[in-house]
Amino acid sequence: MNLEKVIFGFFIILAMTLNFGFFVGDIDNPNHHLHYELYVAIVVNLIATILKFGDRTQIGAIHLATSLVADIQLIAAAIIWAAAGDSGANPEVIVGVVSLSGGAFLANITSVVLLIYETVTLRR
Amino acid sequence: MRAPLLLLVVSYAIALIGFVLIPGVNEVGKAIHLTFFQAFYILSYTATTIGFGEIPYPFTNDQRIWMTFSIYLTVVAWFYAIGTIISLFQDPALKQAITAASFKRAITHLHEPFYLICGYGETGSELVRALDKNELRVVVVEINQERIHELGMTDYQFNVPNLCADAKNPDVLLCAGLNNPMCQGVAALTDDDHANLAIAVAVKLIKPELRMLARVENDVVAANMASFGTDHIINPYKIFGEHLAMEVNSLGTYLLHQWLTSVPGDIVKNPPAVPVGNWIVCGYGRFGKAVVKSLQQENLNIRIIEADPKGTNCEACIVGSGVEAHVLQEAGIEDAVGIVAGTDNDINNLSIVMTALEINPNLFVVIRKNRRLNEPLFSHFNADITMQPSDIIAHACLSYMVSPMLAAFLNLSRMQSNSWANAVIARLVMAVGEKAPDTWGVRILPTHASAICQLLEQGHTIRLQHLLLNPANGTEHLAIVPIMLVRGDEKILLPDLNMEVQPGDRYLCCGEDSAKSTQNFLLNDMRNMSYLVTGLELPETYIGRLLLRRKQH
Repeated sequence: MNLEKVIFGFFIILAMTLNFGFFVGDIDNPNHHLHYELYVAIVVNLIATILKFGDRTQIGAIHLATSLVADIQLIAAAIIWAAAGDSGANPEVIVGVVSLSGGAFLANITSVVLLIYETVTLRR
Repeated sequence: MRAPLLLLVVSYAIALIGFVLIPGVNEVGKAIHLTFFQAFYILSYTATTIGFGEIPYPFTNDQRIWMTFSIYLTVVAWFYAIGTIISLFQDPALKQAITAASFKRAITHLHEPFYLICGYGETGSELVRALDKNELRVVVVEINQERIHELGMTDYQFNVPNLCADAKNPDVLLCAGLNNPMCQGVAALTDDDHANLAIAVAVKLIKPELRMLARVENDVVAANMASFGTDHIINPYKIFGEHLAMEVNSLGTYLLHQWLTSVPGDIVKNPPAVPVGNWIVCGYGRFGKAVVKSLQQENLNIRIIEADPKGTNCEACIVGSGVEAHVLQEAGIEDAVGIVAGTDNDINNLSIVMTALEINPNLFVVIRKNRRLNEPLFSHFNADITMQPSDIIAHACLSYMVSPMLAAFLNLSRMQSNSWANAVIARLVMAVGEKAPDTWGVRILPTHASAICQLLEQGHTIRLQHLLLNPANGTEHLAIVPIMLVRGDEKILLPDLNMEVQPGDRYLCCGEDSAKSTQNFLLNDMRNMSYLVTGLELPETYIGRLLLRRKQH
């Protein structure tokens, strides 16, 4: 039972689940998307990215790449929402934010798929 | 690397969520919440200790409590992260990797002919200085970091790529450009004979046709080097012995030799005449043996003083170090004409000579200088002949590297008479001045002297004097003296200026640095050269050439 692997897996899956939680719901309805959840999703995604540093294998490189993609998209969503300011509840703004978080969600799925593949082939 | 970044993200996250959840009050007292962006903004200028102010409204007490807590949390995390990142860039392993990579890149981008010098001690630094003055590129490998720093602080004309590594290691030699087609030769000048041997073996195995010069002091190692074909083996003691013999019987040849192998621009001292008579030699090591051998060849009477006769295989010598007056008197210092202080300790040498001069002030003094740091003592003392092994090796290497014709010229000059050498010197001084001249080779080939070859093809007669003409004034010569012509297998010393130039000729020229670059330019410039040779101005423009061709038909 490797503690490091537990933490690694925990944060990757937590990142994906929080991202999904924010994303799910009507795309243009601000009541369906909680801004606290976007905030926690960003934080956990950043932590997951930092945990992926330093792995020199091919799979490690792809892990890091997916994490960076997710980070960029979530941070872009946060910036759009902050920049919208008072008109933050407008459908156009919400649609932009949610679609970006959807893209980040796909990146997180890819990361989790890689994690599952790695675990299954290395069963010990 | 991960820990500080994680700490930063987590501390920011905790502080941020607190700012968002704790309500503030606006100007009418209504509770409002900060947005995430406002909280992030406040946190940014708090964590980096900039500190603007409380926006959008002054904080409530609860907010200020949370603010205090975040200050301590995030500022510490921020400083820790920055400190770690800075120390990462100062990691010595990273620095070394960067240095080695930039060295390799400098070598690959070196598109000029260069020499690889292994060992940057006293010999190496003197040689690099001389090569740099001669506009030849150099790459240095040296095992001692301090000497590499010294190289970095010396002001050379060209960039000298250098690496602090052990040259015995063939990987280091390959990294330093052994296989680079621009490498013209390797000089092994470390103070360890076996290291020099290892370098010579590596070079001769990897690139056998590359010129290899090695410094060696032990005869066994020298024989070993010669066996696998090291091109030039330089034994400073043997060379000094030969020089001393030259100084005894042909001073002019010696002076010519010194002149042509010094660093260009240096002032060469006039060598004093070596007296014939009784000589005393203190120290029968390698230096002493070489000196005794050459002085005995000149039929001088020699008495040897040696502190360890068994260790040095000295047969008939007076036991002692020569520092005490009574030992010198036993050797007959009163009726001697000259003394050689040749031990490997500078202070002992100076002490021997000072003691000797007290007894017999008219002695001719030959002293061996080992370390360049004792230079002030020796220059103040001003002995008649000061022998420094590193200078001798450097000048010997220089004569092989500057132009292969120079070594051949020096060998031939030794067979000429003393008065011939004096005549050459007089001619050089008249043309070039009192300082040591530059020496270079001129090849009459389409790649090196294209204008000359074109004129020869057109059927003009080019004489040697045409190669020396000054473009500013068509009748005066540049400050150059051609001292040797190599035509096929034939070597002609001091060719006559009216001689005809043929394609494939090689001339060894001696002269001022500015004259060298002017001549180099001129030999490839068709317009100027044809005017100087034929007196006709060639047209510069296409239309001009067209009109000239029309006129000729």
